[in-house]
Amino acid sequence: MTMIELKNVHKSFDDLEVLKGVDLVVEKGEVVIIIGASGSGKSTMLRVINNLEPIQGGEVWVKGIPVHDPKRADEVHQYVGMVFQQFNLFPHLTALANVTLALKKVKKIDAQEARRMGIAALERVGLEEKADAYPAELSGGQQQRVAIARALALEPDVMLFDEATSALDPELVGEVTGVMRQLAEEGMTMLVVTHEMGFARDVGDRVVFIDEGQIAEEGPPDILFTAPSNPRTQQFLYRVLHR
Amino acid sequence: MGWQGIFDSSGILFTGFVNTLTLSIATIVLGTALGLVVGTLRAARVPALRAPLRIYLEVFRGSPLLVQMLFIYFGAAYLGLRGVETFIAALVALTLYEGALISEIFRAGIEAVPRGQREAARSIGLSRFQIERYVILPQTVTIVLPPLVGQYIGLVKDTALATAIGYFELVREGQAIIDRIGMPIEVFIVIGAIYFVICYPMSLVARRLEKRALHA
Repeated sequence: MTMIELKNVHKSFDDLEVLKGVDLVVEKGEVVIIIGASGSGKSTMLRVINNLEPIQGGEVWVKGIPVHDPKRADEVHQYVGMVFQQFNLFPHLTALANVTLALKKVKKIDAQEARRMGIAALERVGLEEKADAYPAELSGGQQQRVAIARALALEPDVMLFDEATSALDPELVGEVTGVMRQLAEEGMTMLVVTHEMGFARDVGDRVVFIDEGQIAEEGPPDILFTAPSNPRTQQFLYRVLHR
Repeated sequence: MGWQGIFDSSGILFTGFVNTLTLSIATIVLGTALGLVVGTLRAARVPALRAPLRIYLEVFRGSPLLVQMLFIYFGAAYLGLRGVETFIAALVALTLYEGALISEIFRAGIEAVPRGQREAARSIGLSRFQIERYVILPQTVTIVLPPLVGQYIGLVKDTALATAIGYFELVREGQAIIDRIGMPIEVFIVIGAIYFVICYPMSLVARRLEKRALHA
Protein backbone atom coordinates (compact mmCIF):
# COMPACT_ATOMS: atom_id res chain seq x y z
CA MET A 1 0.00 0.00 0.00
CA THR A 2 1.38 3.39 -1.01
CA MET A 3 1.72 5.79 1.89
CA ILE A 4 3.42 8.77 0.27
CA GLU A 5 3.69 9.75 -3.36
CA LEU A 6 5.49 12.78 -4.79
CA LYS A 7 4.95 13.49 -8.48
CA ASN A 8 7.26 15.97 -10.22
CA VAL A 9 7.35 18.30 -7.20
CA HIS A 10 8.76 21.78 -7.74
CA LYS A 11 9.43 24.11 -4.86
CA SER A 12 11.03 27.56 -4.97
CA PHE A 13 11.91 30.18 -2.41
CA ASP A 14 11.54 33.37 -4.44
CA ASP A 15 13.98 32.90 -7.34
CA LEU A 16 15.77 29.92 -5.85
CA GLU A 17 14.43 26.56 -6.99
CA VAL A 18 15.06 24.04 -4.21
CA LEU A 19 13.14 21.02 -5.52
CA LYS A 20 13.41 20.51 -9.27
CA GLY A 21 10.94 17.80 -10.11
CA VAL A 22 11.08 15.20 -7.35
CA ASP A 23 9.34 11.83 -7.74
CA LEU A 24 9.17 9.49 -4.77
CA VAL A 25 6.96 6.62 -3.64
CA VAL A 26 7.03 5.31 -0.08
CA GLU A 27 5.20 2.11 0.79
CA LYS A 28 3.61 1.36 4.16
CA GLY A 29 6.16 0.12 6.68
CA GLU A 30 9.15 1.29 4.66
CA VAL A 31 12.04 3.13 6.29
CA VAL A 32 13.47 5.55 3.75
CA ILE A 33 16.69 7.36 4.56
CA ILE A 34 17.33 10.65 2.79
CA ILE A 35 20.88 11.84 2.44
CA GLY A 36 22.49 14.73 0.62
CA ALA A 37 24.62 17.82 1.13
CA SER A 38 23.22 20.77 3.07
CA GLY A 39 21.07 22.89 0.79
CA SER A 40 20.31 19.94 -1.47
CA GLY A 41 16.59 20.12 -0.64
CA LYS A 42 16.23 17.08 1.61
CA SER A 43 14.68 18.95 4.56
CA THR A 44 12.46 20.90 2.20
CA MET A 45 11.13 17.62 0.83
CA LEU A 46 10.02 16.51 4.30
CA ARG A 47 8.50 19.92 5.00
CA VAL A 48 6.56 19.74 1.73
CA ILE A 49 5.16 16.34 2.69
CA ASN A 50 4.09 17.76 6.05
CA ASN A 51 2.36 20.81 4.56
CA LEU A 52 4.85 23.26 6.05
CA GLU A 53 5.82 24.63 2.63
CA PRO A 54 3.53 25.28 -0.33
CA ILE A 55 4.75 23.89 -3.65
CA GLN A 56 4.77 25.57 -7.06
CA GLY A 57 4.25 22.49 -9.16
CA GLY A 58 3.52 18.77 -9.05
CA GLU A 59 1.52 16.67 -6.62
CA VAL A 60 2.01 15.40 -3.08
CA TRP A 61 -0.21 12.57 -1.85
CA VAL A 62 -0.19 11.21 1.69
CA LYS A 63 -2.60 8.35 2.43
CA GLY A 64 -4.82 9.55 -0.40
CA ILE A 65 -4.85 13.17 0.74
CA PRO A 66 -3.80 15.75 -1.85
CA VAL A 67 -1.37 17.89 0.18
CA HIS A 68 -0.88 20.12 -2.88
CA ASP A 69 -4.52 21.17 -2.54
CA PRO A 70 -4.63 24.01 0.04
CA LYS A 71 -8.23 23.18 0.86
CA ARG A 72 -7.38 19.68 2.05
CA ALA A 73 -3.72 19.99 3.00
CA ASP A 74 -4.37 20.32 6.74
CA GLU A 75 -5.84 16.81 6.85
CA VAL A 76 -2.30 15.48 6.49
CA HIS A 77 -1.54 16.32 10.12
CA GLN A 78 -3.88 13.54 11.26
CA TYR A 79 -1.60 10.95 9.69
CA VAL A 80 1.90 12.40 9.78
CA GLY A 81 4.10 13.05 12.80
CA MET A 82 7.24 15.16 12.48
CA VAL A 83 10.37 15.47 14.59
CA PHE A 84 12.56 18.55 14.15
CA GLN A 85 16.26 19.23 14.49
CA GLN A 86 15.61 21.80 17.22
CA PHE A 87 13.05 19.62 19.07
CA ASN A 88 10.54 22.51 19.18
CA LEU A 89 8.99 21.40 22.44
CA PHE A 90 6.63 23.96 23.96
CA PRO A 91 8.78 25.45 26.75
CA HIS A 92 5.86 26.63 28.90
CA LEU A 93 4.37 23.12 29.14
CA THR A 94 5.59 20.02 31.00
CA ALA A 95 6.69 16.95 29.04
CA LEU A 96 3.30 15.35 29.62
CA ALA A 97 1.40 18.51 28.67
CA ASN A 98 3.42 18.73 25.45
CA VAL A 99 2.30 15.21 24.61
CA THR A 100 -1.35 15.63 25.60
CA LEU A 101 -2.03 19.09 24.12
CA ALA A 102 -3.20 17.83 20.73
CA LEU A 103 -4.98 14.82 22.27
CA LYS A 104 -7.15 17.23 24.23
CA LYS A 105 -7.53 20.10 21.78
CA VAL A 106 -7.52 18.35 18.40
CA LYS A 107 -8.83 14.87 19.18
CA LYS A 108 -11.08 16.17 21.99
CA ILE A 109 -10.12 13.33 24.32
CA ASP A 110 -11.03 13.95 27.96
CA ALA A 111 -8.27 14.92 30.38
CA GLN A 112 -8.05 11.60 32.21
CA GLU A 113 -7.84 9.46 29.09
CA ALA A 114 -5.43 11.93 27.45
CA ARG A 115 -3.20 11.68 30.52
CA ARG A 116 -3.21 7.88 30.29
CA MET A 117 -2.33 8.01 26.59
CA GLY A 118 0.32 10.65 27.23
CA ILE A 119 2.02 8.54 29.92
CA ALA A 120 1.88 5.53 27.59
CA ALA A 121 3.58 7.57 24.84
CA LEU A 122 6.28 8.72 27.26
CA GLU A 123 6.81 5.09 28.29
CA ARG A 124 7.51 4.19 24.68
CA VAL A 125 10.46 6.58 24.72
CA GLY A 126 11.45 5.62 28.28
CA LEU A 127 10.63 8.95 29.89
CA GLU A 128 7.50 8.33 31.95
CA GLU A 129 9.36 9.47 35.10
CA LYS A 130 9.97 12.87 33.46
CA ALA A 131 6.27 13.54 32.82
CA ASP A 132 6.18 16.61 35.06
CA ALA A 133 9.52 18.09 34.00
CA TYR A 134 9.68 21.18 31.83
CA PRO A 135 11.76 21.05 28.61
CA ALA A 136 14.45 23.31 30.12
CA GLU A 137 15.00 20.68 32.84
CA LEU A 138 15.67 17.93 30.29
CA SER A 139 18.81 17.08 28.31
CA GLY A 140 18.75 17.49 24.53
CA GLY A 141 18.31 13.75 24.05
CA GLN A 142 15.42 13.64 26.50
CA GLN A 143 13.78 16.64 24.85
CA GLN A 144 13.98 14.97 21.47
CA ARG A 145 12.48 11.77 22.89
CA VAL A 146 9.60 13.80 24.35
CA ALA A 147 9.15 15.37 20.91
CA ILE A 148 8.94 11.87 19.43
CA ALA A 149 6.39 10.89 22.10
CA ARG A 150 4.37 14.01 21.29
CA ALA A 151 4.10 12.85 17.68
CA LEU A 152 3.51 9.18 18.54
CA ALA A 153 0.68 9.94 20.95
CA LEU A 154 -1.44 10.92 17.95
CA GLU A 155 -0.91 7.47 16.43
CA PRO A 156 0.45 8.66 13.08
CA ASP A 157 0.84 6.38 10.06
CA VAL A 158 4.05 8.10 8.99
CA MET A 159 6.89 9.65 10.98
CA LEU A 160 9.20 12.27 9.46
CA PHE A 161 12.58 12.89 11.09
CA ASP A 162 14.33 16.09 10.01
CA GLU A 163 17.93 15.74 11.20
CA ALA A 164 16.59 14.66 14.56
CA THR A 165 20.04 14.06 16.04
CA SER A 166 22.03 16.88 14.43
CA ALA A 167 21.64 19.30 17.35
CA LEU A 168 22.62 16.72 19.98
CA ASP A 169 25.90 16.20 21.75
CA PRO A 170 27.50 13.02 20.35
CA GLU A 171 26.95 11.01 23.54
CA LEU A 172 23.19 11.73 23.38
CA VAL A 173 22.66 10.61 19.79
CA GLY A 174 22.33 6.93 20.71
CA GLU A 175 19.30 7.31 22.96
CA VAL A 176 17.37 9.02 20.14
CA THR A 177 18.44 6.67 17.35
CA GLY A 178 17.58 3.82 19.76
CA VAL A 179 13.98 5.00 19.90
CA MET A 180 13.95 5.39 16.12
CA ARG A 181 15.27 1.84 15.63
CA GLN A 182 12.55 0.50 17.89
CA LEU A 183 9.91 2.39 15.89
CA ALA A 184 11.27 0.95 12.64
CA GLU A 185 11.12 -2.56 14.09
CA GLU A 186 7.48 -2.00 15.04
CA GLY A 187 6.75 -1.37 11.38
CA MET A 188 6.36 2.40 11.36
CA THR A 189 6.61 4.07 7.97
CA MET A 190 9.51 6.48 8.32
CA LEU A 191 11.26 9.15 6.27
CA VAL A 192 14.54 10.03 7.91
CA VAL A 193 16.84 12.88 6.91
CA THR A 194 20.09 12.13 8.69
CA HIS A 195 23.87 12.32 8.65
CA GLU A 196 24.15 9.20 10.85
CA MET A 197 25.40 6.80 8.19
CA GLY A 198 25.63 3.86 10.60
CA PHE A 199 21.98 4.24 11.47
CA ALA A 200 21.08 4.66 7.80
CA ARG A 201 22.83 1.43 6.88
CA ASP A 202 21.34 -0.61 9.73
CA VAL A 203 17.77 0.63 9.75
CA GLY A 204 17.04 1.90 6.27
CA ASP A 205 15.14 -0.24 3.75
CA ARG A 206 16.07 2.23 1.06
CA VAL A 207 18.44 5.17 0.78
CA VAL A 208 17.64 8.18 -1.37
CA PHE A 209 20.44 10.56 -2.35
CA ILE A 210 19.29 14.07 -3.19
CA ASP A 211 21.54 16.38 -5.13
CA GLU A 212 20.67 19.93 -6.15
CA GLY A 213 16.95 19.46 -5.75
CA GLN A 214 16.67 16.15 -7.56
CA ILE A 215 16.86 12.51 -6.59
CA ALA A 216 20.20 11.50 -8.03
CA GLU A 217 20.22 7.89 -6.91
CA GLU A 218 18.27 5.50 -4.73
CA GLY A 219 18.59 1.90 -3.66
CA PRO A 220 19.04 -0.53 -0.78
CA PRO A 221 21.63 0.72 1.74
CA ASP A 222 24.16 -2.07 1.24
CA ILE A 223 24.30 -1.35 -2.49
CA LEU A 224 24.12 2.43 -2.35
CA PHE A 225 26.73 2.75 0.38
CA THR A 226 29.19 0.23 -1.05
CA ALA A 227 28.72 0.53 -4.78
CA PRO A 228 27.02 3.80 -5.73
CA SER A 229 26.69 4.25 -9.46
CA ASN A 230 26.29 8.03 -9.64
CA PRO A 231 29.61 9.94 -9.38
CA ARG A 232 27.89 12.64 -7.29
CA THR A 233 26.83 9.99 -4.78
CA GLN A 234 30.35 8.60 -4.72
CA GLN A 235 31.75 12.07 -4.03
CA PHE A 236 29.24 12.80 -1.29
CA LEU A 237 29.75 9.47 0.46
CA TYR A 238 33.50 9.80 0.23
CA ARG A 239 33.30 13.17 1.93
CA VAL A 240 31.00 12.11 4.80
CA LEU A 241 32.58 8.72 5.43
CA HIS A 242 36.18 9.98 5.43
CA ARG A 243 35.78 13.06 7.59
CA MET B 1 -4.61 79.58 55.20
CA GLY B 2 -1.54 77.73 53.80
CA TRP B 3 -1.69 73.99 53.27
CA GLN B 4 -4.85 73.91 55.36
CA GLY B 5 -6.78 75.11 52.28
CA ILE B 6 -5.61 72.13 50.26
CA PHE B 7 -6.39 69.80 53.13
CA ASP B 8 -9.92 71.22 53.22
CA SER B 9 -10.22 70.43 49.51
CA SER B 10 -9.28 66.80 49.97
CA GLY B 11 -12.81 65.70 49.04
CA ILE B 12 -12.45 67.30 45.62
CA LEU B 13 -8.98 65.83 45.22
CA PHE B 14 -10.31 62.41 46.12
CA THR B 15 -13.01 62.67 43.45
CA GLY B 16 -10.30 63.57 40.94
CA PHE B 17 -8.19 60.64 42.12
CA VAL B 18 -11.11 58.22 41.72
CA ASN B 19 -11.96 59.60 38.26
CA THR B 20 -8.35 59.37 37.09
CA LEU B 21 -8.15 55.82 38.41
CA THR B 22 -11.46 54.82 36.79
CA LEU B 23 -10.42 56.21 33.40
CA SER B 24 -6.98 54.57 33.71
CA ILE B 25 -8.29 51.12 34.61
CA ALA B 26 -11.01 51.21 31.95
CA THR B 27 -8.41 52.21 29.35
CA ILE B 28 -5.99 49.49 30.49
CA VAL B 29 -8.69 46.84 30.10
CA LEU B 30 -10.04 48.02 26.74
CA GLY B 31 -6.70 49.17 25.32
CA THR B 32 -5.06 45.85 26.17
CA ALA B 33 -7.92 43.89 24.61
CA LEU B 34 -7.74 46.01 21.45
CA GLY B 35 -3.94 45.85 21.36
CA LEU B 36 -3.98 42.08 21.80
CA VAL B 37 -6.40 41.56 18.91
CA VAL B 38 -4.66 44.01 16.57
CA GLY B 39 -1.18 42.81 17.50
CA THR B 40 -2.11 39.15 17.01
CA LEU B 41 -3.76 39.80 13.66
CA ARG B 42 -0.81 41.86 12.47
CA ALA B 43 1.66 39.17 13.54
CA ALA B 44 -0.47 36.55 11.75
CA ARG B 45 -0.21 38.65 8.54
CA VAL B 46 -3.79 38.11 7.49
CA PRO B 47 -3.65 39.55 3.94
CA ALA B 48 -7.09 41.17 3.92
CA LEU B 49 -6.44 42.95 7.24
CA ARG B 50 -2.92 44.06 6.55
CA ALA B 51 -3.66 47.51 5.10
CA PRO B 52 -6.53 48.52 7.43
CA LEU B 53 -4.62 47.55 10.58
CA ARG B 54 -1.53 49.36 9.37
CA ILE B 55 -3.56 52.49 8.68
CA TYR B 56 -5.16 52.30 12.13
CA LEU B 57 -1.75 51.90 13.77
CA GLU B 58 -0.05 54.72 11.90
CA VAL B 59 -2.93 57.19 12.28
CA PHE B 60 -3.32 56.75 16.01
CA ARG B 61 0.37 56.37 16.77
CA GLY B 62 1.27 59.25 14.51
CA SER B 63 -1.00 61.99 15.82
CA PRO B 64 -1.26 63.63 19.26
CA LEU B 65 -3.60 62.03 21.74
CA LEU B 66 -4.92 65.48 22.64
CA VAL B 67 -5.97 66.10 19.05
CA GLN B 68 -7.67 62.67 18.89
CA MET B 69 -9.54 63.36 22.09
CA LEU B 70 -10.76 66.75 20.96
CA PHE B 71 -11.67 65.32 17.57
CA ILE B 72 -13.73 62.52 19.07
CA TYR B 73 -15.43 64.75 21.63
CA PHE B 74 -16.37 67.53 19.24
CA GLY B 75 -16.84 65.13 16.35
CA ALA B 76 -19.49 63.28 18.32
CA ALA B 77 -21.25 66.54 19.07
CA TYR B 78 -21.02 67.56 15.41
CA LEU B 79 -22.59 64.27 14.33
CA GLY B 80 -25.35 64.89 16.85
CA LEU B 81 -24.47 61.79 18.87
CA ARG B 82 -26.17 62.56 22.13
CA GLY B 83 -24.96 61.17 25.39
CA VAL B 84 -21.29 61.07 24.41
CA GLU B 85 -20.15 62.54 27.66
CA THR B 86 -16.61 63.52 28.49
CA PHE B 87 -15.82 60.17 30.10
CA ILE B 88 -16.86 58.19 27.04
CA ALA B 89 -15.02 60.47 24.64
CA ALA B 90 -11.87 60.34 26.77
CA LEU B 91 -12.12 56.55 27.08
CA VAL B 92 -12.63 56.01 23.35
CA ALA B 93 -9.71 58.26 22.44
CA LEU B 94 -7.39 56.75 25.04
CA THR B 95 -8.37 53.19 24.07
CA LEU B 96 -7.68 53.79 20.37
CA TYR B 97 -4.39 55.54 21.06
CA GLU B 98 -3.03 53.20 23.73
CA GLY B 99 -4.41 50.20 21.85
CA ALA B 100 -2.24 51.15 18.87
CA LEU B 101 0.89 51.37 21.02
CA ILE B 102 0.04 48.18 22.93
CA SER B 103 -0.59 46.28 19.68
CA GLU B 104 3.04 46.86 18.73
CA ILE B 105 4.18 45.43 22.07
CA PHE B 106 2.14 42.27 21.44
CA ARG B 107 3.22 42.01 17.81
CA ALA B 108 6.89 42.21 18.76
CA GLY B 109 6.34 39.69 21.57
CA ILE B 110 4.59 37.23 19.28
CA GLU B 111 7.28 37.54 16.62
CA ALA B 112 9.94 36.87 19.26
CA VAL B 113 8.60 33.29 19.62
CA PRO B 114 10.73 31.03 17.37
CA ARG B 115 9.13 29.94 14.08
CA GLY B 116 9.67 26.28 14.97
CA GLN B 117 7.03 26.56 17.70
CA ARG B 118 4.37 27.31 15.10
CA GLU B 119 5.56 24.50 12.85
CA ALA B 120 5.52 21.96 15.67
CA ALA B 121 2.03 23.11 16.65
CA ARG B 122 0.79 22.79 13.06
CA SER B 123 2.34 19.34 12.80
CA ILE B 124 0.26 18.04 15.69
CA GLY B 125 -2.87 19.38 14.02
CA LEU B 126 -3.71 22.50 16.03
CA SER B 127 -5.85 25.06 14.22
CA ARG B 128 -4.63 28.60 13.59
CA PHE B 129 -6.56 29.92 16.56
CA GLN B 130 -5.42 27.06 18.83
CA ILE B 131 -1.79 27.69 17.90
CA GLU B 132 -2.06 31.31 19.04
CA ARG B 133 -4.11 30.48 22.11
CA TYR B 134 -2.21 27.49 23.51
CA VAL B 135 1.30 27.80 22.10
CA ILE B 136 2.22 31.35 21.13
CA LEU B 137 0.41 33.64 23.58
CA PRO B 138 1.50 31.84 26.78
CA GLN B 139 5.10 32.26 25.65
CA THR B 140 4.44 35.86 24.69
CA VAL B 141 3.25 36.82 28.19
CA THR B 142 6.67 36.76 29.87
CA ILE B 143 8.13 38.71 26.96
CA VAL B 144 5.48 41.44 26.81
CA LEU B 145 4.70 41.94 30.49
CA PRO B 146 7.56 44.34 31.36
CA PRO B 147 7.03 46.71 28.39
CA LEU B 148 3.28 46.41 28.87
CA VAL B 149 3.41 47.64 32.47
CA GLY B 150 5.73 50.41 31.29
CA GLN B 151 3.09 51.41 28.76
CA TYR B 152 0.43 51.43 31.52
CA ILE B 153 2.49 53.95 33.50
CA GLY B 154 2.51 56.28 30.51
CA LEU B 155 -1.19 55.62 30.05
CA VAL B 156 -2.07 56.79 33.58
CA LYS B 157 -0.31 60.08 32.91
CA ASP B 158 -1.95 60.38 29.48
CA THR B 159 -5.37 60.48 31.18
CA ALA B 160 -4.45 64.00 32.33
CA LEU B 161 -5.21 65.18 28.79
CA ALA B 162 -8.90 64.44 29.40
CA THR B 163 -8.90 67.69 31.36
CA ALA B 164 -8.99 69.46 27.98
CA ILE B 165 -12.49 68.18 27.20
CA GLY B 166 -13.69 68.85 30.73
CA TYR B 167 -13.48 65.44 32.37
CA PHE B 168 -13.07 65.91 36.11
CA GLU B 169 -9.90 63.95 36.67
CA LEU B 170 -7.06 65.02 38.96
CA VAL B 171 -5.70 67.95 36.96
CA ARG B 172 -9.15 69.42 36.36
CA GLU B 173 -10.07 69.12 40.02
CA GLY B 174 -6.75 70.74 40.92
CA GLN B 175 -7.65 73.66 38.64
CA ALA B 176 -10.98 73.93 40.44
CA ILE B 177 -9.20 74.17 43.79
CA ILE B 178 -6.77 76.78 42.44
CA ASP B 179 -9.70 78.82 41.14
CA ARG B 180 -11.08 78.87 44.66
CA ILE B 181 -8.05 79.25 46.92
CA GLY B 182 -5.10 80.03 44.66
CA MET B 183 -1.81 78.42 45.67
CA PRO B 184 -1.10 76.78 42.27
CA ILE B 185 2.40 75.64 43.28
CA GLU B 186 1.21 73.73 46.31
CA VAL B 187 -1.78 72.27 44.53
CA PHE B 188 0.27 70.99 41.61
CA ILE B 189 2.83 69.50 44.00
CA VAL B 190 0.03 67.52 45.63
CA ILE B 191 -1.40 66.48 42.23
CA GLY B 192 2.02 65.39 41.04
CA ALA B 193 2.50 63.41 44.24
CA ILE B 194 -0.78 61.58 43.72
CA TYR B 195 0.24 60.56 40.18
CA PHE B 196 3.53 59.38 41.63
CA VAL B 197 1.74 57.28 44.24
CA ILE B 198 -0.19 55.56 41.44
CA CYS B 199 2.73 55.12 39.07
CA TYR B 200 5.66 54.25 41.33
CA PRO B 201 4.30 50.85 42.47
CA MET B 202 3.70 50.00 38.80
CA SER B 203 7.28 50.95 38.08
CA LEU B 204 8.45 48.59 40.82
CA VAL B 205 6.32 45.80 39.35
CA ALA B 206 7.76 46.43 35.88
CA ARG B 207 11.31 46.23 37.20
CA ARG B 208 10.56 42.98 39.00
CA LEU B 209 8.99 41.41 35.91
CA GLU B 210 11.99 42.47 33.88
CA LYS B 211 14.37 40.71 36.26
CA ARG B 212 12.22 37.61 36.19
CA ALA B 213 12.07 37.63 32.39
CA LEU B 214 15.86 37.83 32.26
CA HIS B 215 16.19 34.76 34.46
CA ALA B 216 13.57 32.77 32.60
